[in-house]
Amino acid sequence: MTTERRVLVLDDEPIVGDRLKDAFEKEGLEVEVFRDSSQAMERLKEQAFGVLVTDMKMSGPSGMDVLRFVKEKNPSTSVIVITGYATIETNYEAQALGADHFVPKPFKMKDLVKLVLNAF
Amino acid sequence: MADITPDLTKVVLDPALAEKLRTAQDFIVSRPRISIRLRFMVSLALCFCLCALAALVNWTYLHQVRSRLLLLGTTESVAFDLEQARRFEKDFFLYGTNLDDAVRYAESAAARLQSETPQISEAAKPGEMLAVAGHLREYRRLLAYCQAMARARILDPSRRQAIEASLRQQGSTVTALVEGLTSRERNTVTHMLKVSETLPMVLLIALLVLFVLISYFFTEALLNPIRRFQAYTRRIAEGDFTLIRPARTYRDEFSDLALAVNRMLADLQATQQRCVEAGKLAAVGTITSGIAHEINNPLNNISLTTEALMEDFKTMSDEKKWNFLQDIYFETERASEIVKSLLDFTRMEKIERVPLDVGGVILSTQRLLQNEMTLNGVTFECDLPPDVPQIKGAENQLRQVFLNLFINAIHAMPRGGALRVKANLHEEERVCVEVQDQGEGIPPEVLPHVFDPFFTTKEPGKGTGLGLSVSLSIIKRHGGDIQVESEPGKGTTFHVCLPRADRA
Repeated sequence: MTTERRVLVLDDEPIVGDRLKDAFEKEGLEVEVFRDSSQAMERLKEQAFGVLVTDMKMSGPSGMDVLRFVKEKNPSTSVIVITGYATIETNYEAQALGADHFVPKPFKMKDLVKLVLNAF
Repeated sequence: MADITPDLTKVVLDPALAEKLRTAQDFIVSRPRISIRLRFMVSLALCFCLCALAALVNWTYLHQVRSRLLLLGTTESVAFDLEQARRFEKDFFLYGTNLDDAVRYAESAAARLQSETPQISEAAKPGEMLAVAGHLREYRRLLAYCQAMARARILDPSRRQAIEASLRQQGSTVTALVEGLTSRERNTVTHMLKVSETLPMVLLIALLVLFVLISYFFTEALLNPIRRFQAYTRRIAEGDFTLIRPARTYRDEFSDLALAVNRMLADLQATQQRCVEAGKLAAVGTITSGIAHEINNPLNNISLTTEALMEDFKTMSDEKKWNFLQDIYFETERASEIVKSLLDFTRMEKIERVPLDVGGVILSTQRLLQNEMTLNGVTFECDLPPDVPQIKGAENQLRQVFLNLFINAIHAMPRGGALRVKANLHEEERVCVEVQDQGEGIPPEVLPHVFDPFFTTKEPGKGTGLGLSVSLSIIKRHGGDIQVESEPGKGTTFHVCLPRADRA
């Protein structure tokens, strides 16, 4: 199992998943999209990913929980947090939990793609 | 640099409140002051005076007993002297001796009688003293005559017998009188001694009764204000911060307490106002941060989709372009929906409230949703008793509430079920409506959050999460409340209660 060029996208907004998948696949990355955080965590248990792009506020386990989980399970996974609720507090909390990048919504796809490619 | 941070511990009253406080305090102090300490001192002084009085009564009585005992002594001495005189008198007539002794004793008796006349007169019957004095005088005169004759040695036997008889008569009369006096005195003294035994007991009982009365009145004077203050604190604990104005004839330490309580109440009112305002600010804060988050998602979606569209415009298929444009369109509608709900939420206008039949509102709401219900296989069962009183409200707002609850119920039963609505009068005061579905129910960890703004368990784009919080806000502004109970797998029931129109 390689982590090479593998990205997991987690966001309950379907449009986000679709656009990100299109954009990342164009760069030659393998993308798996999840809208449910519990299912995403199950997948993360069985497969290591190079990058995790996750939203914060979802029903069920929150983005913070997933972040914490990934950093424990596989610290080499880069985590990029995207969120519509970008306050100093959430930024700080995400950083404290080990997030590599904090991207407030709305964002430019160009910028996110750059970040993801740099993480590999 | 000077410290310019405001002292948040000092509560400042607004002018209206300060004025109310001033009037209340003036009312309390505008009367003469008789402190509790003073009342206590007076009560004690009164008790002391009563004891002193009792002691005085007792003492006076005993003093009288003493006087009478002395008197008794005197009359007994007089009787004794007389007795001796008469003995010596007898000796004289028998043996011719001791006449001087007789005279001496008679004189002693007379002297004692004379010196104690004022005291003895008190005990004597009217004229008795005169009689005694008179007879004694005669007795002494006769004795003196005998003495003179005996000295001159001219006492012939016939004269002697007459004198002897007179002497004996006088002697016995005086003696009888004096004895009578003495025995009467003795009786009086005995009686008085008996009384002086019971007098203290009687006085003690009287004192006991009076003390009980005094202490009762004093403690009532203390306990009444205390009871009143207990009632005040109970009222305050229930959140009623109206200033107190105890009406009493006199001002005392309890008035000082009332002043302090009023200052506290004024502070509490001011603090409460501040809390309400802070709460409003906090609510606005929550709403604005909620807005930010809720709108950022549609904006992001529009941004990403537009960016992708512009990036691959030339190479993208028409179908894909069309889908993207649809997405953009949909997301803009979503954003405007959110703003609309928020405007509903923050609307502060005072809407006309009129007496309404809650049944009417329920039925009109149901008509609006008839199609939706049929589509989802939801049956509508309602129980609306005609004797349920009217409530006072704004019809469209209340319809909005029931609309929200019915829609939630319908969405909770995707496979169909019964939506049961029941109205009743609860405890004579409130009209309560139960809205019950047979859906999946709400898990216990989610239940406390259902009324939170923006809280939703639905997918994004489906529902704003504001429905229930708006409904709760509307009902609360109507003076009512919404409660929810739910069991996963069994369904959910919402209880909407509103005060009846005729008692509001």
